[in-house]
Amino acid sequence: MAAKKLRRTQLSQEMCERLSRYQITTCQDFLCLSLLELMKVTGQSYYEVQKLLCKVSQACAPKMQTAYEMKLRKSVNPSSAFLSTTLHPLDRVLHGGVPCGSLTEITSPPGCGKTQFCIMLSVLATLPVSMGGLDGAVIYIDTESAFSAERLIEIAANRFPTYFDSDEKLLHMTRSIHLYRELTCCSVLKRIMSLEEEIISKKVRLIIIDSVASVVRKEFDTKLQGNLAERSNFLTRGASVLKYLAEEFSIPV
Amino acid sequence: MQREVGTLPLAPALRARLAAAGFQTAQELLDTGPCGLSKEIGISREEALEALQVVRQECHGHAARTAGGSGTTRKCTALELLEEEQTQGFIITFCSALDNILGGGVQLTKITEICGAPGVGKTQLCMQLAVDVQIPECLGGVAGEAVFIDTEGSFMVDRVVDMAAACVQHCHLIAEAQPEEDHRKALETFSLENILSHIYYFRCRDYTELLAQVYLLPEFLSEHSKVRLVVIDGIAFPFRHDFEDLSLRTRLLNGLAQQLIIIANDHRAAVVLTNQMTTRIGQSQSTLVPALGESWGHAATVRLIFHWDNSQRLATLYKSPSQKESTIAYHITSHGFRDVQPPAVTPSTEGTELNPRKRPRTEEEKQ
Repeated sequence: MAAKKLRRTQLSQEMCERLSRYQITTCQDFLCLSLLELMKVTGQSYYEVQKLLCKVSQACAPKMQTAYEMKLRKSVNPSSAFLSTTLHPLDRVLHGGVPCGSLTEITSPPGCGKTQFCIMLSVLATLPVSMGGLDGAVIYIDTESAFSAERLIEIAANRFPTYFDSDEKLLHMTRSIHLYRELTCCSVLKRIMSLEEEIISKKVRLIIIDSVASVVRKEFDTKLQGNLAERSNFLTRGASVLKYLAEEFSIPV
Repeated sequence: MQREVGTLPLAPALRARLAAAGFQTAQELLDTGPCGLSKEIGISREEALEALQVVRQECHGHAARTAGGSGTTRKCTALELLEEEQTQGFIITFCSALDNILGGGVQLTKITEICGAPGVGKTQLCMQLAVDVQIPECLGGVAGEAVFIDTEGSFMVDRVVDMAAACVQHCHLIAEAQPEEDHRKALETFSLENILSHIYYFRCRDYTELLAQVYLLPEFLSEHSKVRLVVIDGIAFPFRHDFEDLSLRTRLLNGLAQQLIIIANDHRAAVVLTNQMTTRIGQSQSTLVPALGESWGHAATVRLIFHWDNSQRLATLYKSPSQKESTIAYHITSHGFRDVQPPAVTPSTEGTELNPRKRPRTEEEKQ
């Protein structure tokens, strides 16, 4: 939205050309300037500039929705609001399971079972909706090389023996889990940015990143001065893209 | 009338031409008339007429302002302000300790900032306020609507439903205890659907959308004149990443703060912002301070800091023009934001919401 070109807003053609001479081509550039600067750049009077500001703002402001509409939308399909973890006490505490449309973070000391939990969630997501799953593909971004396909099949076969009774079903499940091994921060960020198209094409219903901390701690030593800012920069940028993906596609991350 | 031409809000090119032609005051422009003006500086008659209309508007507006009429600058005596402040509404938070240290609740026409570490309850308080602002006047509320601008995506509708249901139940219990005609009438419209339909939710993904939304807010508020609360949940989040130019960030934040102050004053609304915490690394230790820097600290009138103390949540009033600094404990229950129940109270009395401690103001308001 921020990178929306001014050409696509309601501004006139000559105004856009004039602004592009000053290197102002997107809504972001336009809104970052103060009123006086805008007057100088557009050559318009104060009131005209305020009207232009309104037009550009309308082009990139978010839509309004009342809380009531949001509730109605949620109640229309309640089953898609959560991914049940099949651990009933946990589901009770989480009010239904891992929520769709927002980020969930799992932290623990090493060896407690985070990766096992993630593997189990991937199996659950590929199950059909009637069995409590999301009936979709899974994107698994692995930074520690801890994902084991054998363990995946073991969990699937032992947990749901009646469903995975044929090799074919197991094959189908494993084919819908897409594993990406990324070992540096840059590649993780690039992968996250490229996820949008993959989600649509592969009908992904769950994104797992295992784990964020390991790759960040490897690369950014907090004792060095500039690294703290770079590290938080990387983390917040990744977080905002993931939040956008989670909300846009209503999937758990 | 003796206003200099350079200070008029005309287009810069036009101003340059007027200066080159030798015009110095607005009066000269008005005396020349549109035809003379167009001949002297070489612009069309329509443009000259437009410019003169702008000048006339400015001068008249200026004259009206100096006469003390309604304009952008208002003069009033401190006595009028005192009377205004005493009739000022507060938005209660359902936590009487917090209301007490704030002097009655979140004040209208002021900017309140809530800072805290993640998970301490800032968004919970914002959602609670969005429900509480709609309480009818006869029950101690301000009967307004709420605008919720979310930059972090932490607004959960189900949680608001829980809080709204608890609030409606609470009000019904009060109305039963003191049955009056206007109570019953007010409660007819105070239902779950109504509460939810009067919370206007905007989801801003980055600072450009946030800036655009704040520019459009005055128009939105004039259309929905009953809005008494504007919540911006997470003002720090879009400004903390992707910003290499810190001076641009400071400038944008200051502009944002000024616009919010204007909105709060013109529309008699309370503005509530939530901020994150950042670590300041000192000589020998590091402390948690509110994010966005020192200059942002001047933007808010009232500052609350939420923090933990061994699994007890505390709220500290850090900055306030009228109340003294103090700390209280609060609780987040399934009904929302509440006081910490004193240990003497048995669990069975948790349900009786007729506790006068929690609603001290109904009596005062009615007087």
